[in-house]
Amino acid sequence: MNSFTRWWEVTRRECRAGLRQPVFWLVLALLAIIAWTDSGDAVHLYNSEIASTGIWPFNTSVVSQALRQGGILMMIAPWSLAMTLGLVVIRDLELRVVEVFNSTRLTPGEYVWGKFSGVTGFFLLVWGLYLVLAMGFDHIVQGSGGHYLIGPFALRNYLVPTVLVGLPQILFYAGVSLFIGTWTRRPVVVFLFPVVMLLYRFTPWWGLMPQSISETVALLDPIGVFWVDDTYVVGRTTEQVNTAALIPDAVFLLSRLAWAGLGLAGVAGAAVIYARQVQTGVSGRGLRSAGGLIGFLRGPRAAAARIRPQAEPTLADLQMTTRPLGFRGAAGAIARSEIRDLLVRPGMYLCVPLILWIAMARASVIDSLLTSGISASRQYTELGMFLCLLLLFYTVESLHRERGRRMHEIFGSAPVPTGAILFGKALGNSVMAAFILVVVLLASAGVIVHRQIAHGSPVGFELWPFVAVWGGVLLPTFVFWTALITALFALFRNRYVVYGAGMAVFILTLRIPIDERFKSWSTNWMGLDVISWSDMGTFAPHGYPLLLNRLLYLSLVPLLIALSVRWFRRRDLDATGLAGRLSPRPLLRDAARVLPLAVPPIVLASMLVVGGRSGYQGPAAEEWEKDYWIRNVATWEDFRMPSVSHVDLDLDIEPAERSVAVDGAYTFRNHRDYAYDRLPLTAGPWEPIEWTLGGEPYEPENRDGLYVFTPGEPLESGDTITIGFRYRVVVLGGISRTPQPVAKFVLESGVNIDGFEPVFAPVPGYRPAIGSEYHDPPEYRDDFHEGRTEPVTLWAGPGFTARTRITMPEEYTALGVGDLVSEERSGGRRTVVWETGHPVAMFNVVAGRYAVREGEGTAIYYHPGHDYNIEEMALALDAARRYYAEWFHPFPWSVLKLSEYPGYLGGAQGFPTNIVISESEGFLDRSEPGSRGPFAIVAHEAAHNWWGALLTPGEGPGGDALLSEGMANYATMLLFEQVYGDRERMAFSRLRERDHVRFYRPGFSLPPVRTTGGDYHRGPWIMWMLQHEMGRENLLSGLRAFIEEYKAGPDYPVIQDMLAVLRDFAPDTAAFDAFAEQWFFGSVLPEYRFSDVTKVQDEDEWVVRGTLENVGTGRMRVQVGAVAGERWSHEVEDAGRSVVAGGYRDARTEVVLGAGESAGFEIRAAFEPERVVVDPDVMVLQLRRRDAAFEF
Amino acid sequence: MATVQTNAVAEAARAVSRPEESLPPATCVLQIRDLVKVYPGPVAALQGVSLEVPTGMFGLLGPNGAGKTTLMRIVAGLLEPTSGTVHFNGEDIVADPRRIRRQLGYLPQDFGFYPHLTGESMLRFLLVLKGVQAPGGLKHLAAELLDRVNLSHAAKRKVKGYSGGMRQRLGIAQALAGDPGLLIVDEPTAGLDPEERLRFYRLLAELAEDRTVLLSTHIVEDISVLCPRMAIMHAGRFVADTTPSEARGRLAGTIFQGTVNRERLAEIDRNYRVTQAILIEGRNQVRIHLPEGQPPEGFQASEPTLEDAYLLLSQSNGVGTGP
Repeated sequence: MNSFTRWWEVTRRECRAGLRQPVFWLVLALLAIIAWTDSGDAVHLYNSEIASTGIWPFNTSVVSQALRQGGILMMIAPWSLAMTLGLVVIRDLELRVVEVFNSTRLTPGEYVWGKFSGVTGFFLLVWGLYLVLAMGFDHIVQGSGGHYLIGPFALRNYLVPTVLVGLPQILFYAGVSLFIGTWTRRPVVVFLFPVVMLLYRFTPWWGLMPQSISETVALLDPIGVFWVDDTYVVGRTTEQVNTAALIPDAVFLLSRLAWAGLGLAGVAGAAVIYARQVQTGVSGRGLRSAGGLIGFLRGPRAAAARIRPQAEPTLADLQMTTRPLGFRGAAGAIARSEIRDLLVRPGMYLCVPLILWIAMARASVIDSLLTSGISASRQYTELGMFLCLLLLFYTVESLHRERGRRMHEIFGSAPVPTGAILFGKALGNSVMAAFILVVVLLASAGVIVHRQIAHGSPVGFELWPFVAVWGGVLLPTFVFWTALITALFALFRNRYVVYGAGMAVFILTLRIPIDERFKSWSTNWMGLDVISWSDMGTFAPHGYPLLLNRLLYLSLVPLLIALSVRWFRRRDLDATGLAGRLSPRPLLRDAARVLPLAVPPIVLASMLVVGGRSGYQGPAAEEWEKDYWIRNVATWEDFRMPSVSHVDLDLDIEPAERSVAVDGAYTFRNHRDYAYDRLPLTAGPWEPIEWTLGGEPYEPENRDGLYVFTPGEPLESGDTITIGFRYRVVVLGGISRTPQPVAKFVLESGVNIDGFEPVFAPVPGYRPAIGSEYHDPPEYRDDFHEGRTEPVTLWAGPGFTARTRITMPEEYTALGVGDLVSEERSGGRRTVVWETGHPVAMFNVVAGRYAVREGEGTAIYYHPGHDYNIEEMALALDAARRYYAEWFHPFPWSVLKLSEYPGYLGGAQGFPTNIVISESEGFLDRSEPGSRGPFAIVAHEAAHNWWGALLTPGEGPGGDALLSEGMANYATMLLFEQVYGDRERMAFSRLRERDHVRFYRPGFSLPPVRTTGGDYHRGPWIMWMLQHEMGRENLLSGLRAFIEEYKAGPDYPVIQDMLAVLRDFAPDTAAFDAFAEQWFFGSVLPEYRFSDVTKVQDEDEWVVRGTLENVGTGRMRVQVGAVAGERWSHEVEDAGRSVVAGGYRDARTEVVLGAGESAGFEIRAAFEPERVVVDPDVMVLQLRRRDAAFEF
Repeated sequence: MATVQTNAVAEAARAVSRPEESLPPATCVLQIRDLVKVYPGPVAALQGVSLEVPTGMFGLLGPNGAGKTTLMRIVAGLLEPTSGTVHFNGEDIVADPRRIRRQLGYLPQDFGFYPHLTGESMLRFLLVLKGVQAPGGLKHLAAELLDRVNLSHAAKRKVKGYSGGMRQRLGIAQALAGDPGLLIVDEPTAGLDPEERLRFYRLLAELAEDRTVLLSTHIVEDISVLCPRMAIMHAGRFVADTTPSEARGRLAGTIFQGTVNRERLAEIDRNYRVTQAILIEGRNQVRIHLPEGQPPEGFQASEPTLEDAYLLLSQSNGVGTGP
């Protein structure tokens, strides 16, 4: 028998053994489920076009498949291969077959490579089955129904990703697992590998890296999807993603070969280590510690038995008696033993720092102030995931320990209750989990206190958020998980099966949040995504289902313990009695015994399921939305409403019941030149609704939520008609089905509702987004802006006056759009009336238990504990109110209000006179010179009172994108410069530039006139550069004229309309046109590089010469500066304005460079320059600004 | 060795296996009735064995695979039998194995310990689990027990550094601990040197004065030194339930011993019932069982040993297990 034959024999047997490995069957089952669920679910690609249009590429494209296969393998392969290949040598050692192998002609190399090829081969076989299933589900099951996510079938779309993305991963995981297992011979260390891979996968800062770094890191990515994403998704259109061919460049190919090679090197290393171990006779546990090594080198110690006298005392002299331990004593003794065992395990010392690291990183990588609540909630998911993994490993190892050490017979014959054994072990492991929690808690407290002392953070440490989130929500997860693992072990008595089952549950759980169809309170044992912290009302949106959910899983614990005690046999069962035990009567008897314990979880699960089905996310609500869409889309999608001229709302809000009693009316005015015979309104499922038309009771046609009114006489041009309504609505009624964060709510913690969607008030016309997740975006011709353009909001027309009367419990401050005209208190309730004199484009209502900070025509309503940034926010609001009025248009209302709402979902909206900002978006932002988040968000949202509210953009590309979001950030730039000076404006501009270039790809990024969604980053930069081009006062004059011309409609503007107005204010129209052509109608981005830079002293001067090249696109005038010293002092003026440092000097020149052009420059300076920089004042948007500098 | 069963052997076996005629009356505390254990395969490890064990030391002798460990594990409540009953002091162990744990000291044949614990810590942990108490406290008791098994010098060393014999002694210490009503020791002297074996004999003998000690072994010397009563197992059955002296007495005058060369050994084996054939200084010392007739040339009458009786009984079941 030659070497190949022996290797093949090992391979063949190991491959066949795969059939008996439960892990592989679990993997296959998981993959089958994933293939099925994935086939109907879109691949989530981080692409601005896709995100803004809601159009997803085909699941079946080669790019989607690469991303999907990469992600699936990353989740499945590390743990399944660790569990099989990683343990293959350890298992053979435990079975004591290794020494037999060693006595044959089988060489260590043949043995190790045979094991590797056998297991890996079987895994590839399973993966092949997955591909077949995926193709079947995609193209036969879904494709036959013409699913919008399924493209044409191409076998290579499935195979190329497997070869390019999958195979290197598999070889890497397999080789490393085998190496670790052979080297350490410790299962816990082997399992660390998939844990580390999970850490890698869930590291939160991947997406935050600048593009230049992420391109490099993409090559160091074992999964391979970062490169695919960077190369084929970012900056591409959906069409391009669908038709890409996935051709690797040489560097990526080398990277993939390197990962595969690393895996194979791992196998070779394992073979070498194994051969050495065989040679030196080290078997069993390997060389694990210095002590072990010394012991190994010393050899066995001679037994130093002393000679004892013959006359020995008897055992009776010891007067031993026995009193069997009770449950508590035994459990305590076992728990202490478990803790002692944990303390000597190196895994603990690896895992604790790892978990601490990831938890602290998760908490620290934020721009906000690190309050205790934020810290506890941000670390919650990571702590839950990794501690559950750790508990899985340690619980299984702990339950297996006695059998693994061959101590189970001594242990099993001790007079200790079985329940005490299981409880003691669970307790020991729980102490480990608690210890890690305490370590992370102390570290969190340390970080918060350190920030407070060293950096002057206003936030102090509080214990209760940690107790509430970790103690109240996380701890039940650990208790349940430990009980579940114990029950699984008691049932299967095979640690590998339990690892497989545990990991399967774990992986499925992690996938469930991705798939909304399976995410529910009743299955969410880990409490994933259930924490959206707010200091204003902890757990408020989902408090009740969360309580039921935690009680459900706690109530399962007694049942699992009872089953564990029944299944955990200290006596080996007789196999011939199995049939008897499985016969109906004993099974029924067993079931009857545990049935009472199953009642509470069944009741709680039923409450969640039944409550969820009838709640606002339930099937009834979904059905209502679908019916609405199906019945109305064809008839009403293109229907244009008359404008609303007045809104009158009388709201009685009861936060404790989440209810609003609404009595209101909309007055419609036909601003079009044709008559209306029907008027539709969309209302939620709030029946019964009492409607009136023209003041008279009316019964409109109810088209599944679209109420169609037919006036007695058609509504002629210029005519008005009033539609009234009265009903009571419960906002977020019933039990939620999933813990989705909510933005609009009526809760005891606060109220945040508006008229965009039918949350509490009817919406004019038909809403195409209701009942349909995906819809075709409208197509626009190049000249779509010619003639009248509709406003971007469905509340058509030039706005409306509004009167909002709100009654609430007295402790709440309720705010609506407009000005406060009256306030009354009666019977513990307060009634306020808000009215707008000047029309508004939208209305909203916000309420809470607020403190108030009043300014000059402004007011900020905030949670009393959140006063950290109030002064900065007030500064921004006052400045915005004053300067925007000067720059853009007089503020037509009186008071500009800003209110905080609970941060269950981040965000902010600049409603006219009534801005709302989530607590997580400014009130808790960390603010320091160079990064003033609170100022920025207030300045941005306040600007929407002009750009968005006063001037409503037109519908179509380049409308809302630039004229609302882009202009709001341009206004923010101006305000930064006005209030804080250049440094803060430059810092804000750099942030926008960073966020723009991250998604920029030459040749692929759309120009502003074709951009939909928000142009938050490039938009303000273009306006800033235009200001530089045509002069600040010229531009501001132009913008004032632009608003004046378009604010009242009926034509609503897009970019082309703005340019037409601004052109008249440009001192050089040719330059204006050239600028517009490249920045508005084109997509360019300069990128500058220095070469041949020298500096020489010429008498009293220093002369800097060099060449500057624009390696990017676009032609811009840009400054080049020779600089010495740091520009900004650490000191700031009282008003917060930055001060130029004393030692700073610069001298400048200017160059104009087109794409690919270069030019020499010379700068004369009266000081010795230290460096040369392009665009020292941050005036030109560019790519890789950091590289556009030269240090002498 | 050849394994031909003869009528003479069967007769001899019958001669040494008639306890009812010779054993003194004793209080029976452990009753085993019709115990059957079938492992998947199927392998019948116990084929309906019954036994009554009184207070005192009781030896269970048998070759490897006879079913001793299976029987011990069933009595210790660690293995469910296929059928049959086991009662200890009237309590049904098969129905509720928890009953035996309170009164049990158990030394399994194959066992291990937590390797990271010291011998003293390991023993103290087991003392706690067994609920053992002593006037001087558990620390003192653990030290004393380790002293009894001559492990004091290694009390502070981790168990993973123990030799096989030291581990066995630590096992013995834990089995002796407390006041077990029933002590089950399965192959306890394996790995012990002669001195330790002797020490262990003394400890067991002391314990057996007022309780039941079930000693399972395939080493005949253990039985002959310790056990006033014994049973011999073979292939899942009891082939004898007797006392060592009676087993030997029944063979009086039927055992002959001689020294022969290799060629003659084959001839003797063909014509006589050989009970033992051992090499001494390069020559074969052979013992034969010859109830009647003339012994071969050069053979002298010899005192029967327990080993003679054991081997004859083992062979009587039809399966040869020559010495």
